[in-house]
Amino acid sequence: MELTLFVIIGAVAVVSAAMMLFSENAVHSALFLILNFACIAFFFLMLHAPFLAMVQITVYAGAIMVLFLFVIMLLGVERLPPEKQPRFPWLIPATLALALVFLVAVSAAIIQGEVELTDQEVEAPYVRIINALDGQAIDLYLDGERIARAVTFRSSTGFEARQAGEIDAALYAAGADPSADDPLLEQVITLKDGQAVSLTAVGTPDDPRLVLAAEDVSAAEDWGEKDKLRVIAVNALPDQAAIDVLDVTNADDAKTVIEALPYGEASGVTWIDEGSYDIGVYPTDDHDTRLAILKDADYETSTAVLWVFAQQGSGTATTVIIDLETDVRPSFGSPTHVGQLLFSRYVLPFEMVSLVLLAAMVGAIIFTREALGPRPRMVRRLANPPAKLEQPGAGDTGK
Amino acid sequence: MGTPEVPIELYVLLSAILFVMGALGVLLRRNAILIFMSVELMLNAANLALAAFARQWGNGDGHLMVFFVITVAAAEVAVGLALIVAIFRTKKSINIDELHMFKD
Repeated sequence: MELTLFVIIGAVAVVSAAMMLFSENAVHSALFLILNFACIAFFFLMLHAPFLAMVQITVYAGAIMVLFLFVIMLLGVERLPPEKQPRFPWLIPATLALALVFLVAVSAAIIQGEVELTDQEVEAPYVRIINALDGQAIDLYLDGERIARAVTFRSSTGFEARQAGEIDAALYAAGADPSADDPLLEQVITLKDGQAVSLTAVGTPDDPRLVLAAEDVSAAEDWGEKDKLRVIAVNALPDQAAIDVLDVTNADDAKTVIEALPYGEASGVTWIDEGSYDIGVYPTDDHDTRLAILKDADYETSTAVLWVFAQQGSGTATTVIIDLETDVRPSFGSPTHVGQLLFSRYVLPFEMVSLVLLAAMVGAIIFTREALGPRPRMVRRLANPPAKLEQPGAGDTGK
Repeated sequence: MGTPEVPIELYVLLSAILFVMGALGVLLRRNAILIFMSVELMLNAANLALAAFARQWGNGDGHLMVFFVITVAAAEVAVGLALIVAIFRTKKSINIDELHMFKD
């Protein structure tokens, strides 16, 4: 389907470019060029660049081509007078030969696979650590390298890019020396490209566990879930075999968000609408005993929310909810994505390009002004020129 | 982004074809405005290749390049057309074969 579309639009693009080259009338050429630009805008859409497609239509097919048509019409140069003889008779065969050589070289390189084009790059996996171990600050080592130090209960680190693959994760008590001390926990974890993994330390200091909550933090639009946000829950309650998470915003009408989440596991991704929620946690078999409630939690779209239900204190333990909200990556090529790049990594080029535009504007004014020549001096005329005083001549007398 | 259905090679090839057509226009046409339009065609061919590579590498930098190319093209058109208008005022022609002397 997409390939058929590509072939059809590509044919239209090439034909319109050819018509632009060969039509005698410059206005027709401009119109064919607009058609070509529209085809390219379509390709931008197919290449996941909707913002560029719109810019292509408005700036190129709109503003620039209107400028061209305007100048053609202004100067009245739709057609050039027929030429008597070409100045360089060898030019046409020479350029055609060069063009052919170039095209053959490019196609040969592509067909032979000389150009490395096939590998698609994916974003590296991201890792963060969340501590749901009450009374135990922790250090996290991945492949022997410490990536988090002294993470206290209920706190978390930011996401950090790591290599994909199998990684030895080791949890130590904060400040422990990995060469001398025993780790609290050692585990081999698998990281995949494009994932954001929340490593959650759960349980008790005597019996810790590491829970992996992996998700793809690309934008909701990529999932076909517009205006929603995703939620993952981690059950870090050693005393509860399984819990339910209920939306109790409306007390009479509780809705189940996540059902029967066993201890030491992360739920799958659940999509909820944006808005304000009261979130209650209950044991699966007993919806009358509320373990904890998260009041008036405001969630916006384009975020990924992680709930960790952790146990604080031992004996008469209370349940706390660790509520982490992360911004998701804007979808590739969207206006948000382009805007973020423009105002972060590309601020300087952006400023320089705006200077170029400014200089071009001034230049255009100067060029056309000089062509006009010096401005004709305004002749002042008075509304009522004084009548010339007639001198009575000598010969007039006596008439 | 799943695996793209249209291989990037096709985009590069199409871009090369459009670029060559633009270059032919620059070299063969005698109308200065047509030459200008051919330059725009070449810039667009380059833009297409940039967008295709951006998708291939899942990297937004290509999109930014396209954005800047479009901006610079707009600036170039403004200056270029102003030049053409200025030349037309003095020479009464925009056939570039007749513009080979500095003095008129």
